[in-house]
Amino acid sequence: MFFHWLEKNPFFFAVMTFAVIAFAGLIEIVPNFTEAARPLTTTTPRTVLELAGKNVYIKDNCIACHSQLIRPFKSETDRYGNYSLSGEYAFDRPFLWGSKRTGPDLHRVGNYRTTDWHENHMKNPPDIVPGSIMPSYKHQFTNVADIETAYAEAVTVKNVFNVPYGDDIKAGRKAWEAYRPKVLEDAKKVAADMKDEGVKKMIANGKVPEIVALIAYLNSLK
Amino acid sequence: MQSNAALEYDYTVAKMFTYVTILFGFLGMLIGTTMALQLAFPELSNLIGEYGTFSRLRPVHTNTVIFGFTVSGVFATWYYFSQRVLKVSMAESKFLMTIGKIHFWLYFVGALIATVTLVLGISQGKEYAQYNWWVDIVIVIVWILWGVSMFGLIGIRREKVLYVSIWYYMACFLGIAMLYLFNNASIPTYFLSDGLGSINNSVSMYAGTNDALVQWWYGHNAVAFGFTVPIVGMIYYFLPKESGQAVYSYKLSLLSFWGLMFVYLWAGSHHLLWSTVPDWMQTMGSTFSIVLILPSWGSAINMLLTMKGEWNQLADNPLIKFMVIASTFYMLSTIEGPIQAIKSVNAIAHFTDWIPGHVHDGVLGWVAFMIMASLFHMAPRMWKKEIYSKKLMGIQFWMQTTGVVLYFTSMWVAGITQGMMWRAVDEYGNLVYSFIDTVTVLHPYYTIRGISGVLYLSGFILFAYNMYKTITAGKELTEEPQFRTPMA
Amino acid sequence: MNALTIKALGFAALLIIATLAVVIQMDIDLTDSINAIAVGGAIAIATITAYVTTLYIGKMKTDTATGELVDENWDGIGERTNELPSGWAYTFLGTIIWLVWYWFIGYPVFGFSQIGQYNEEVLAHKARYEKKFAAASPSELKDMGKSLFFVQCAPCHGNTGDGLSGKAHDLTKRISKSEVLDVINNGSNKLGYPMGMMPPGMASGKDAEDIATYIAGGLKGEAPASSAACTSCHGADFKGNNGMAPNLVAYDNTLISHVLENGKKGIIGTMPSFKTMITPIQEKALTAYIQSIVE
Ligand code: HEC
Ligand code: HEC
Ligand code: HEC
Ligand code: HEM
Ligand code: HEM
Ligand SMILES: [Ca+2]
Ligand SMILES: [Ca+2]
Ligand SMILES: [Cu+2]
Repeated sequence: MFFHWLEKNPFFFAVMTFAVIAFAGLIEIVPNFTEAARPLTTTTPRTVLELAGKNVYIKDNCIACHSQLIRPFKSETDRYGNYSLSGEYAFDRPFLWGSKRTGPDLHRVGNYRTTDWHENHMKNPPDIVPGSIMPSYKHQFTNVADIETAYAEAVTVKNVFNVPYGDDIKAGRKAWEAYRPKVLEDAKKVAADMKDEGVKKMIANGKVPEIVALIAYLNSLK
Repeated sequence: MQSNAALEYDYTVAKMFTYVTILFGFLGMLIGTTMALQLAFPELSNLIGEYGTFSRLRPVHTNTVIFGFTVSGVFATWYYFSQRVLKVSMAESKFLMTIGKIHFWLYFVGALIATVTLVLGISQGKEYAQYNWWVDIVIVIVWILWGVSMFGLIGIRREKVLYVSIWYYMACFLGIAMLYLFNNASIPTYFLSDGLGSINNSVSMYAGTNDALVQWWYGHNAVAFGFTVPIVGMIYYFLPKESGQAVYSYKLSLLSFWGLMFVYLWAGSHHLLWSTVPDWMQTMGSTFSIVLILPSWGSAINMLLTMKGEWNQLADNPLIKFMVIASTFYMLSTIEGPIQAIKSVNAIAHFTDWIPGHVHDGVLGWVAFMIMASLFHMAPRMWKKEIYSKKLMGIQFWMQTTGVVLYFTSMWVAGITQGMMWRAVDEYGNLVYSFIDTVTVLHPYYTIRGISGVLYLSGFILFAYNMYKTITAGKELTEEPQFRTPMA
Repeated sequence: MNALTIKALGFAALLIIATLAVVIQMDIDLTDSINAIAVGGAIAIATITAYVTTLYIGKMKTDTATGELVDENWDGIGERTNELPSGWAYTFLGTIIWLVWYWFIGYPVFGFSQIGQYNEEVLAHKARYEKKFAAASPSELKDMGKSLFFVQCAPCHGNTGDGLSGKAHDLTKRISKSEVLDVINNGSNKLGYPMGMMPPGMASGKDAEDIATYIAGGLKGEAPASSAACTSCHGADFKGNNGMAPNLVAYDNTLISHVLENGKKGIIGTMPSFKTMITPIQEKALTAYIQSIVE
């Protein structure tokens, strides 16, 4: 019998196994690949500050508790806003849909929460929402966000994947030095709505605290 | 029956992997228990600043138990039983011995460094693929080394026909190799920006919905080829071996194997139900998941039928108990998963604690039980000592079984309750519950889960202690036991 | 059925009853089709697993191993040539036939679309509730507003609406002195009233203090003379001049409507706009509820 023959011929056994398992992947992923890569006309890439915030989101792994995917149920659209559309994610590398909602969905949190709320909340969630089990993220108020890496990320996706960033985003230290003030400007705008003295001091010293980048990112989730 | 007495098998590498299986099992479960308690008592999340939050710890837990505990368990058992069913000793090939040792050391050092990177928050963000790009490269090399050592040993085998367990371990190797490479493909930003920013950062090759498709094609099958395939291979060796019973049906082995290989991969999109991937892809995931029950149950049934007429063994050998219970938990999780993959059920189950409940039926009741039982079976043969204490093993069995039952029942109730509360509307058609209402209601279940974690972890400590005492103080054996493991 | 199976089914039943008990306690509508199917799924998982696993484990007690052995033997492990268990084989075959049917007939004919289903869900919801409460009574409105408030507003304003000690506006009072002073000093222009913006510096120093005390105090006693600067816009009674500027003594419908539409930015912080989240009837309900909690 064929299968028994395979059991005596490890090489062909392996080839057969591989063929059988590889096959489904092609059918499951390939047909939708181009379609799913298209942004909506209204989707814009994130700013460098927002990208830095996204990296804080990944570093502190908020995805452990928060999804970013609103399913098409009335109960979800009532709670979080419109159901999510594929094109909205076209610039998200990685995607951050999550698989567990220990906390609420955040895909449109920028619509119904604001900077000062996040500031209070991230410092100590139970102060704002009694009974909250979310950890406090005080360290984000003192850690410095890595905006240079965020910029490098923008450069990379622009050059490799044609993400529509402006001409001022290009490789090299000089271009970055020229761009840096813009990021600080954005950070200042966010910090203006915040109360934390330490944050204001860091911004004044030309540093962007992680919390500022993170809030810029959360506000961009709309 | 041919005797193996003429062959001296070399267990050097198997022993080394046995040690780290225990080490990573302990670490991973310690962190799991900590996390479980953190959700019940959130103050515990803020004891050591940014490094101790639930969110930082979660990938440390998942990756340590998967790539630390499970994978080294797979390696340990591979280096043990492969020699025996292929009738060839590692000692016969200097080359394979060297590869085996490099395989171990690169794996061990790599795993330690990888764990530290996660604690520091260096992550690619995708579940079960968080290790950053250069850690991924180390993992790929480790995997290639395993491949060389695996196919090398198969190449010099004396037993012409490959035993079922070998099929499964080969599939594990191939499946993970393919999936891991595709899903972790990413571009380091440092090199494409002329040296800006951190060397650790990279961007995924895929964006948005595409990234999701690749991720869950990987994620689902990482479960398949990490938590299912090699563990099935494990039970196919260790249960018949420990019990001395012949495998019930070759046909059932055959159909289950090829059925599993063929069907598993299609089911991945059940992780993306109600998302933005096209309806037909989602439906494909749902329908294939239902079909998947049968090849999964096939192996479990084959094992249970192998024990036909052997009730006395079940009653008085704790190792048989572990393996029979493992099969039943395997059956539980492989019908629970498919039912959660039905779109309407998933509408409730997805995003809730019912999913971690399902996960731990599988990982605690099936994966960890099988790994511990296998190591127990191996120890007297590798160290030529009797198992230190049968009594401890019995206590461990009941603690851990209670642990799993408490885990899945509490998360089952928690998940279903929460999923339904999210949908609930009042008499006017508006949502009744604010999100926090659906969190506070879970407190009792989170507490029960915390207790279950403590029980399971304590059981694991007993296991580690029993292994340690066996190695250091077990009664010497003069002859290798043919089947049943000797225990004091 | 053997004793083991009965015990296992008993455990399954217990688990399901416990689940239902908890769920019913939370006032869950089990007639909702999604909820019903999920419960059905849970029952299937528990009972099928309990039944089938114990069926096979039971055989360890009753049956004996039989069957030819294959030629090979691996490390002492033999393998039998037994036929497939028929229950398993037929179910497998059945699921495969079902799969083929589903893909070539079931799915194309059924033509499921999740967005289509969503649209139907929304229409059904409207049909069920919208007409019924189009002319809701004041007490119904207040009641309706309550769960809306808990879900949408309480995360900022707190469950009692008190603003969580100064982290958002205190809705149990109309307005505080510091808020009034801030508006006098800095103006305000987010609410979108017909009057446009409120210019900064309409009063200053002690005048501003007095006005703020008077307004925050709920217009008790004599109005300070300087408050004339305000009445031109806010009306002599400070009730907003028929909706031209905010009512400073009560949360009237116009004010809530403007806040929900535009959000608000002030000394406390920023309140987001809810225009995409709140329907007109929900706005009425929220208004009624807020008017009911103000002291
Ligand atoms: C242990 C789980 C957990 C972790 C980890 C966690 N959160 Fe939360 N989060 C929650 C819970 C529970 C809530 C709901 C209660 C509340 O608002 O505090 C919540 C609420 C929120 C909200 C408010 C959303 C809304 O609609 O009210 C935001 C924003 C948020 N979290 C952001 C974050 C960010 C950013 C991180 C990571 C740095 C994070 N969370 C990590 C559990 C968590
Ligand atoms: C030119 C017309 C005008 C005058 C004069 C004026 N206001 Fe206003 N006031 C407005 C308008 C318009 C708004 C709404 C502003 C907005 O869109 O946020 C407003 C808002 C306010 C608010 C905020 C209400 C709320 O609920 O957020 C307060 C308090 C207030 N005015 C107090 C005063 C006081 C006190 C004075 C006199 C010292 C005064 N106003 C004079 C037009 C005026
Ligand atoms: C993200 C937080 C947030 C949410 C959610 C929120 N609010 Fe507010 N709200 C605020 C803050 C902050 C203020 C005070 C702004 C200021 O004056 O500085 C405020 C002010 C108000 C005011 C007073 C406005 C005035 O002009 O006096 C009303 C009324 C109000 N909110 C109603 C609501 C209602 C109704 C909801 C729910 C649908 C809601 N809010 C949700 C943050 C929030
Ligand atoms: C027939 C076999 C199985 C099927 C069809 C299946 C199906 C599913 C489904 C539908 C989900 C939930 C996805 C979601 O809604 O988020 C899931 C999650 C999961 N399952 Fe299974 N399951 C099976 C067996 C197993 C086994 C045996 C294990 C482990 C030993 C396992 C481990 C997991 C894990 C780890 C997750 C969580 C994935 C995540 O992070 O979201 N599954 N499975
Ligand atoms: C003492 C035992 C354990 C305890 C108490 C425990 C606890 C936990 C907790 C609390 C979570 C997070 C769930 C959530 O986010 O809500 C989790 C996730 C997870 N654990 Fe464990 N764990 C244990 C052992 C294991 C073992 C041995 C494995 C694997 C072999 C494992 C695999 C996983 C996986 C894959 C997830 C992610 C599930 C998902 O994303 O849905 N755990 N565990
Ligand atoms: Ca998950
Ligand atoms: Ca990776
Ligand atoms: Cu899966």
